[in-house]
Amino acid sequence: MAQDRPTFHEAWYRVADLQPRLLSSVRVFRQQFRGQIWHVLENTANNQYSRLNANAYAFVGLLNGSRSVAQAWQIGNEQLGDDAPTQGEVIQILGQLYNSNLLYVSLSTDGEALFKRLQKRQSRQIRSYFTNLLFIRIPLLDPDWFLNSWLPLFGLFFSRLGLLAWFLLVGTGLGFIGSNFKELFAQARDVLAPGNLILLYLTFIVIKIGHEFSHAFACKTFGKLNKNGGQVHTMGVMFLVLFPLPYMDASSAWAFSSKWHRAVVGLAGIFFELAIAAIAAIVWANTSTGTTHIIAYNVIFVASISTLLFNGNPLLRFDSYYVLSDLIEIPNLSQRSKEYIHYLVKRYAWGVTQARQVATSLGERLWFFFYGLASTAYRIYISIRIALFLNDRLPEQFFFLVPFFIFSAVVGWVLMPLGKFAKYLFTGAELQRTRTRAIFCCSCIVVGLVYFLGIVEVADHCRVEGILEPEDLRMVYAQSDGFIDEFVDSGTRVTAAQILMHATNPDLEAQQRILAAERRRLLVQLWIAQTEETVATQILEEQLGALDEQVARVNTQLADLRLRAPIAGIWHAPELWRMKGLHVRRGQKIGQIGSPDALIMRATASQAIAALLKLDQQVYIRLKGYPQHLITGHFTLIAPMGQENLPSPALAYQVGGDVALRSDDTGRPKTAEKIFEIRIDLDVQAPETFRSGQRTVARIDLPPQPLLRQWYRLARQLFQRRFYI
Amino acid sequence: MENSPSTWRRTLDQGRASRPQLEGLDVYAHRLRGSAQRLSGTRHRLRRRAKRVLDLGRFYQDLSNDALRETAVEMRTLFRCRQDKATDLERAFALIREVAVRQLGEKHYLVQVMGGFALAQGSIAEMATGEGKTLCATLPATVAGWRGMGCHIITVNDYLAERDAQWMGRIYSFCGVRSDFVHQGMEPHARKYAYQADVTYCTNKEVTADFLRDRIILGPNRDSNQVLLARIVGTQTRRLNQVVQRGLNYAIVDEADSVLIDEAVTPLIISGPAPNTEQLDAYRQAATLAKTLSLNVDYVIDMKYREIKLTPKGRRRLEDQTAALGGLWRVSRRAHEMVTKALTATAFYRRDKQYVVDEQKVVIVDDFTGRLMPDRSWRDGLHQAVEAKEGLELTPVKDTLARISFQRFFRLYRKLAGMTGTAIEASQEFWSIYHLPVITIPYNRPCLRRQLPEVIVQTEAEKWDLIVEEIATLHAAGRPVLIGTRSVQASEHLSRLLKDKQLDHQVLNAVRHKEEASIVSLAGQQGRITVATNIAGRGTDIKLGPQVKALGGLHVLSADKNESDRIDRQLFGRCARQGDPGSSSSVVSLEDELIRRHAPKAYQRLTRWKPLTAKGLFRTAQHRAQRTAQQQRRHVVRSDQWLDQQLGFTHSL
Repeated sequence: MAQDRPTFHEAWYRVADLQPRLLSSVRVFRQQFRGQIWHVLENTANNQYSRLNANAYAFVGLLNGSRSVAQAWQIGNEQLGDDAPTQGEVIQILGQLYNSNLLYVSLSTDGEALFKRLQKRQSRQIRSYFTNLLFIRIPLLDPDWFLNSWLPLFGLFFSRLGLLAWFLLVGTGLGFIGSNFKELFAQARDVLAPGNLILLYLTFIVIKIGHEFSHAFACKTFGKLNKNGGQVHTMGVMFLVLFPLPYMDASSAWAFSSKWHRAVVGLAGIFFELAIAAIAAIVWANTSTGTTHIIAYNVIFVASISTLLFNGNPLLRFDSYYVLSDLIEIPNLSQRSKEYIHYLVKRYAWGVTQARQVATSLGERLWFFFYGLASTAYRIYISIRIALFLNDRLPEQFFFLVPFFIFSAVVGWVLMPLGKFAKYLFTGAELQRTRTRAIFCCSCIVVGLVYFLGIVEVADHCRVEGILEPEDLRMVYAQSDGFIDEFVDSGTRVTAAQILMHATNPDLEAQQRILAAERRRLLVQLWIAQTEETVATQILEEQLGALDEQVARVNTQLADLRLRAPIAGIWHAPELWRMKGLHVRRGQKIGQIGSPDALIMRATASQAIAALLKLDQQVYIRLKGYPQHLITGHFTLIAPMGQENLPSPALAYQVGGDVALRSDDTGRPKTAEKIFEIRIDLDVQAPETFRSGQRTVARIDLPPQPLLRQWYRLARQLFQRRFYI
Repeated sequence: MENSPSTWRRTLDQGRASRPQLEGLDVYAHRLRGSAQRLSGTRHRLRRRAKRVLDLGRFYQDLSNDALRETAVEMRTLFRCRQDKATDLERAFALIREVAVRQLGEKHYLVQVMGGFALAQGSIAEMATGEGKTLCATLPATVAGWRGMGCHIITVNDYLAERDAQWMGRIYSFCGVRSDFVHQGMEPHARKYAYQADVTYCTNKEVTADFLRDRIILGPNRDSNQVLLARIVGTQTRRLNQVVQRGLNYAIVDEADSVLIDEAVTPLIISGPAPNTEQLDAYRQAATLAKTLSLNVDYVIDMKYREIKLTPKGRRRLEDQTAALGGLWRVSRRAHEMVTKALTATAFYRRDKQYVVDEQKVVIVDDFTGRLMPDRSWRDGLHQAVEAKEGLELTPVKDTLARISFQRFFRLYRKLAGMTGTAIEASQEFWSIYHLPVITIPYNRPCLRRQLPEVIVQTEAEKWDLIVEEIATLHAAGRPVLIGTRSVQASEHLSRLLKDKQLDHQVLNAVRHKEEASIVSLAGQQGRITVATNIAGRGTDIKLGPQVKALGGLHVLSADKNESDRIDRQLFGRCARQGDPGSSSSVVSLEDELIRRHAPKAYQRLTRWKPLTAKGLFRTAQHRAQRTAQQQRRHVVRSDQWLDQQLGFTHSL
């Protein structure tokens, strides 16, 4: 059963004897939404609209300027019975028409009230600028003449042939993208690189201008076809999160009688952008490097991703939202979804029996419910994402703007709605009977939230990224020069003192032989001297001693040509097989031996995290990319001093790690901010899958804290990083 | 007598002058301004000015009557030509004061002059009862009379209007100001003559009704340009001459709190026969149909909110039964409404409680005071439904021709001032709705009232016993007693109890104002017992008998607490006026109307258990009652505003 509709209204006497009619400049269009007939009234003089349902329109139709409202109401009652508007509804209808400047009453106009209305509208506009700094619109010029003169050409696109061409184009573009998908993906990282931002933004502007013109031309084309609507008189600049963007007002498309025509106008911008993206994809795939290539890539990025993410996403109030709400014939979907959810709360949580039901059918109810939830969640998500994106990417010199954004967002999205809600809760007439219950209900939620967020301690943790290394790792260097002869294959498990490599050194061998001969010569001389002159004996003995030392050295060097493993472990010398027969020098790195049985993790922690860590704390370690394996470990070392060198280049942002690097004066990479090296010993023997050199993530449990405190810490850290407070 | 063009303009563009209701943050800013004003020491300024007036008095004392009259004529010219300066107002007051002495033998006290200044600057003067508000009002009223744009002095009943106009008339006529009064049943041309007077005494109901009737006469084309054109063309002279008022320029409202706040939201409605009467038979049919429906099967009653709801079953049954009836029964919504109304008439409207049947007519009984209201009727067919239930002849349905709430009406005045004994409690509301600051005028002589502690008992029976006992004690001592009750029933009940005890007494129910005024004026005589509903005999001074002062003066006994402590204070203000001795006390019970209606149930139980909390219970009940009333008033303002916004194309008045 619908709500109470009392027949009488106490203010009826004020309208009963009037003889109003619609202004002569009003045109009426008939539309159908979800099987219901609606009438759109348009005042051609000032582009103001109002929408009436069939019954209301039937009543308004009876007002011809000579019938009084009371007479029309009586006739309406006789003709429509139950469906006829009640006195209260008539007052509302007349008020609605009057406030949209569609009504003519033969009383002298109250000029003051007229100005008051204008003032009110203006001040509301100004207020909305201030409360909504993120979305400001400034109308600039009237593009109508331009559109009219170019319509014969661009109008051609909005035809069956045009649609076919569009499909072909987009199909081709998709084909090129499909075949180059990997490169496309790989290049994505460069798109948001600081150097590209300006180019990207310019691309964005150009594409959005095209986008808007596409709407406008579509509007014009179908306006011609429908013989009404199709006026485009406003073009201007919109500041979306302070980015100036073009916009055009194609709202006259609402007067089209075919909803598909309206849909095409609504989607024209997306059509255009996708077409442009397709062309850009073709260009991009057929060029290799250079400016054209980069611009083409930017175009693909802007015209496809941004379009689909924003304009093509019905959860945000951009193009496709309006198209969706039009196609499913639920006007004002977003607003009414909110109202419906509010209604559900009022009706079932607060027990307001008089709550106004906004949904008229089951279908609407489902749409409202799911759309309401999804869009709210998505809006919150995207707002946070935008905020974080700005926080990360906004150039330093613009950063002073952030507090303004935050202020505006907090005022506009948090404080004002909260204030309004509190006012409604405490003084709203609707809640008069169930106020206690409503307040109780809300208090319960607030108390619940405070309890769960502010009091219940939730396990807190942070993560550090690191790399696995064997605890015992030895580099193996060549001990003496030589030509590699034989060697143990890389990856073999070796025992301690096993020979890893055998090299030959003919020089040494020759030297050994020369030394042997020399020794023999000295021995002979010694013998001779022993018999002949004893004085020389002593000299020769000393010479022999020196020579022996030389021999011994050569022998050692020769022995060193057999390179032995210093420890047991896995022999790792991936390049060795290429070096067979090649000469190695003493001290040259041959390979390394690591013990796979005892791995450790070396990780980096930023300042924010390092302060929270304690020695011997337990951590949980997972391999990156293999979340199923989990082992535990504990800190054995937290570097007492910050450093600027990474323990392993694998941890750098450029290769997928989470530490940003910068180049110092000499061009060597340094970390952007100081890091603290942490060593984590594994508690158990690592399973086979854990190998040296793998990137790992360690989760560190911090003392449990309420969520609010955790978030507060995160927010403060975020701020501190940017503001150096 | 015809209005001048400028008068027409003032009359017809009336609404433009009234200040708009504030919205949003402006409300708080305005509130802040009000508080700042209250702290800014207006009272001291007024006192300084009043002292200067008293000083000037010596000068006028020495003038002969003729010289005084001549000065008055000079001043009249000065004020009419708007050539007056601030000091001229002081001179004028001094002159009027002297006139009052010569004509009435009464001299404005310092505090009355202060009150005069407060009224002249458009504020609410809070003056204790018996401080001579009527005389005080002559000061600004004479000056306003000199200005020649009309001045309305709003009294609470016709008797007071007549009395004051005649009583004070001698001051006015001496000063060259014509005063007159309007009362019920006056002919239009006499009314017009009265409104043309420089100072007009009238009740709020009369002045508002005349305003509405004027608007109806003017019809839809009441734009000032159109009317002035019509006057030049001379086509509608007769119609235009029927208009009795000449614009709302300045009003001094007596008992401002009851007129501007307590009664403010009651709309005054002028109705006429409906051109398209709904078939009256339908009401009888509805009454018959309603009898066939059974409670909790076909309909449910929500006692708390006084609502009736048809169940789906009831709806079906109704549709079956009305299928053959035709007429408005074809429209099921109307049918439901009619039957619901008939059910409401039976369920919530009881004979001799909400109404009485007097000479084959339903007469409404006022919910609060229990007084009969013969000129009132319920709206939207409820009256007919009740008549149908009683099987009486149905009065034809009437259509609203014009309506306005007092609140809205008084905001139309270009300048508004008020005086009352009790205003400070409502100063916030006076300021936010009427932009009227409240200025408390000090007592002329220190107040000697002894406020005895409140006695709270459990049951109503106990209460009456205690009251009678107390009256007997006081009576034995020879002191006069005035007992204030809330409703007619209560005063009649008490009267019966007193009769049983053979205590001679008088009962006043605020029906015949004139007689009651004379009874009340005697209430201060030795040994008198007077039982009165709260507003009975308002505006009349209770003078003490010769020996009464020595006995301790008048004792006021309150038998009920009211929704607002302002009204309680009004009652107590009737004793110990003008430095006389006097005492007041109150006896209330936990079964009183106030508690039943407004106190939280849980608190009531707590009080029964722990009687110590009773004081708080009454405070809470009063607080809640006032809050509810205030919300209601605010709601009326808001819905008025909404309507004006929606119906900007019609005349808002």
